Amino acid sequence: MATIQQAFDKDPAAEAAQNIEMVEVEDGYTLTNLPDESITAQFDVDQIPERDVTQDDLDASAVDNDESWLMYGGNYQQQRHTSADVITPDNVEDLELEYLVQSGVSSSMEGVPIVVPGDPPVMYQTNGPNHAKAINARTGETLWSYTYANPQGLLLCCDANNRGFAVHGDKVYMTTLDSGVVALNRYTGEEEWYTSTGDHEIGYSATWAPVAYDGQIITGSAGGEYGVSGFVAALDPESGDEIWRTNTTPAEEWAGDSHEHGAGTVWMTPTIDPDSGMIHAPVGNPGPDFDGTVRPGPNRYTIGTLTLDANDGSIQWHYGESPHDVWDYDSSATKVRVNDVDINGETRDIVVSPGKTAWVYTMDAETGQLLERSEETTQHINMWKMVPHVDEDRRVAFVPGAHGGNDWQPPSYNPETGLMYFKQNNAPHEIFWEEAQYEAGQTYWGGGLNDWPDVDEPAGWNGNLSAVLAVDPVTGERVWRDWISQDDTSDYLWGGSITTGSGLTFAGLQTGHLVAYDGENGDRLWEFQLGAPICSSLSSWYDPSEGKQYVAAQVGGSGWLHGGRRGSTIAVFGLEE
Amino acid sequence: MSQYVNGMPQIDQEDRRQFLKVVGLTGAVAAGSEFTLSDLRGEVEGETAGELAAMGEAIRSDLVGSLDAALLGNELAALEGEIERLPELRAMGVPAQDSTEYQQLAEPGWAIHEHLVEVGFFESVEEHLPEFTPEHIASTAREFINTATLASALGELGYSETELTSTVVNVVNNKERLAMWVPTKNIPAGVEGFDPANIAPLHQRAAAGVLLWTDYLDTYLWQNEVLLTDTILDNNYGDLKQMYAGLHLLANAAEDLAGSQELSDAQLTAALSAGAAMMIVGQEDLTNDVMRITDEMRAPRTGGA
Repeated sequence: MATIQQAFDKDPAAEAAQNIEMVEVEDGYTLTNLPDESITAQFDVDQIPERDVTQDDLDASAVDNDESWLMYGGNYQQQRHTSADVITPDNVEDLELEYLVQSGVSSSMEGVPIVVPGDPPVMYQTNGPNHAKAINARTGETLWSYTYANPQGLLLCCDANNRGFAVHGDKVYMTTLDSGVVALNRYTGEEEWYTSTGDHEIGYSATWAPVAYDGQIITGSAGGEYGVSGFVAALDPESGDEIWRTNTTPAEEWAGDSHEHGAGTVWMTPTIDPDSGMIHAPVGNPGPDFDGTVRPGPNRYTIGTLTLDANDGSIQWHYGESPHDVWDYDSSATKVRVNDVDINGETRDIVVSPGKTAWVYTMDAETGQLLERSEETTQHINMWKMVPHVDEDRRVAFVPGAHGGNDWQPPSYNPETGLMYFKQNNAPHEIFWEEAQYEAGQTYWGGGLNDWPDVDEPAGWNGNLSAVLAVDPVTGERVWRDWISQDDTSDYLWGGSITTGSGLTFAGLQTGHLVAYDGENGDRLWEFQLGAPICSSLSSWYDPSEGKQYVAAQVGGSGWLHGGRRGSTIAVFGLEE
Repeated sequence: MSQYVNGMPQIDQEDRRQFLKVVGLTGAVAAGSEFTLSDLRGEVEGETAGELAAMGEAIRSDLVGSLDAALLGNELAALEGEIERLPELRAMGVPAQDSTEYQQLAEPGWAIHEHLVEVGFFESVEEHLPEFTPEHIASTAREFINTATLASALGELGYSETELTSTVVNVVNNKERLAMWVPTKNIPAGVEGFDPANIAPLHQRAAAGVLLWTDYLDTYLWQNEVLLTDTILDNNYGDLKQMYAGLHLLANAAEDLAGSQELSDAQLTAALSAGAAMMIVGQEDLTNDVMRITDEMRAPRTGGA
């Protein structure tokens, strides 16, 4: 029988977060009714084993040590794979709900709960708007609760998102919506330091989970819709001092001074290959989004994979998926590094990137050379067609829309099957343009974006809003695809999947179902209805004291388009070996 | 996607009819299905109102004495040498991993660009030239057709009459695309949070775009070899020829202004406007022909075998 853990009646951190209101403003959203100062509420913190997380622990996360899930992507390579294999295709039907944690905060739920092994293992989870908890991962009991005091005047393009913690030593690290990183003592929930990485008043913000690596906290940048200039930065884990910063819009790659507002933000967690010391950062759109004429040329380093040297942030290579983009076709999904892959008779290290363009790009990890581009992963209808805006009716419905394809939804990889797994969208969008003739005081960018269903559905569109699918990154073959129809939901599919050592792929759907797929063929082997869209990206671990493998999902709608009904639940499932 | 023959845009009967209409020829010449710019020279009406001349005079007044004739002469010569190398670059096919062949192509252009930025050339040009209205495109085209020296300079670099004709027709017939490139002075503040103060003048954007795309090609073509076909490489060659015809017109006009001043005021205006238009249409064609590779355009997947 599952237990339901309510946040404590008196949890001032949760209450403060619940009182925060997100309101629509002219250029997006902002938050009001914010607390004056950050709040930590402590409960039975003595349950947290005081053993610092080491670099060796991080190196072993999820794969070499299946008792842990210590970072957003499971391991540094962001394969989102646990080697735990208690849950199998044969017994997954016995997987049961262990407990639900009611966070007390109904907001964006895109975070990945990380789990530090111990007795008991401790889960650290975050959700919007910068609310966080430490939880006994065995029982669901909340041990401390925290809400960061964001300032007034935030500019948010998409939601009050936060996607999770990084952990190292005795601290956990969370990005903040005002474009900062806050370090908390993970044993007490108390603030240790805060560093601002960008000016939130001009549109910088931060939503992703940072990553702790080799004496650095690696973080990025958001605000691409507000004319910021993107960067990746490394901070000192003990002090928050900046160690290095690499700008993604260097002046020499742009015309005039347009680099100053060139965007190219890195708003999802960078991938790291500890063997080579490379960082593979996902990069978003150039700015401004839709008018490329003010930023001619390829707008190099935007929309694609930007590879840096983790020692100093120096640029190694970049692969662009939409040079000189004018469709908002970010490549913000986390990149997946896989080493020692047999391709064309050679052993290669590869980086795999899905983008809004709805192809999967397999690149040589050393050079960025494209080794293969997959079959289309969603439909391609009127791809690249609406620019240069000369169509007679100046309106074209196209797929993938401005949300992809694959927006930020992190993919997963399973070394057991050799396949990559994706959650993507297939809904059409329309961009329409008004006359380009300039009139004083009027915007010459006139026009906008129509989102499904307020579009003329293009010929050939199959009526499916989304799909979960598998691709062979070596051949580019699309191996299976599970469509999600507009007949089943009007919400879009967000969040990422995970894979297990037994060949399963778990994915939360916008229909509220948590699904276990057979990774080989896409058969749905098990489902559980959680009552609200699942926009989070899951995690899994093995608890040797209980002899159980667990799977965690945060539940509730979020995101910038068709996110669906809000929720406030962390659901944890388990199966005993 | 553009259609190319021998690397240049292929124009058909409808393209020619539309072009002749724009430049004001609907009579005897228009009846012919094939023509070159030379055929039209003297047939199109020259400038009568003096608008192009007034614009050119204003630019000349701003810039005479500020340009470095020796630098521009040397770099123009180097640029011409690079343009003559374009067939070699096509023959090279996909560049090697560490190739800098395309970066070399852009180097003289960058030197010219940097000098023109330093002396405020682009600000002056933008101040005195109008946006790409249909009327300005038509008058520029007529002046360009009637100025044999502008076309002959490109002819000496290997552009055939047919190639130049198809390039000019392609540009003139893309007036709506040109209209999207709004002069910076006409861009309002505060749209999408974007500050127009950071946007380069229109003609600088056209030139910098050409050079940035060129610099990218070594890496881009090498990285994407698995997608490339001969058709894509042919189109890349044709689009570069368009872009560099435009860059040469711009550089040639600046060099003339700095030195011999053989071009009339109206011809100066025509060279600058036509040059920018060719650079703009060329880089938009490159984007569509080479950078946005659909499944229908790409080389077949090899299946990792």
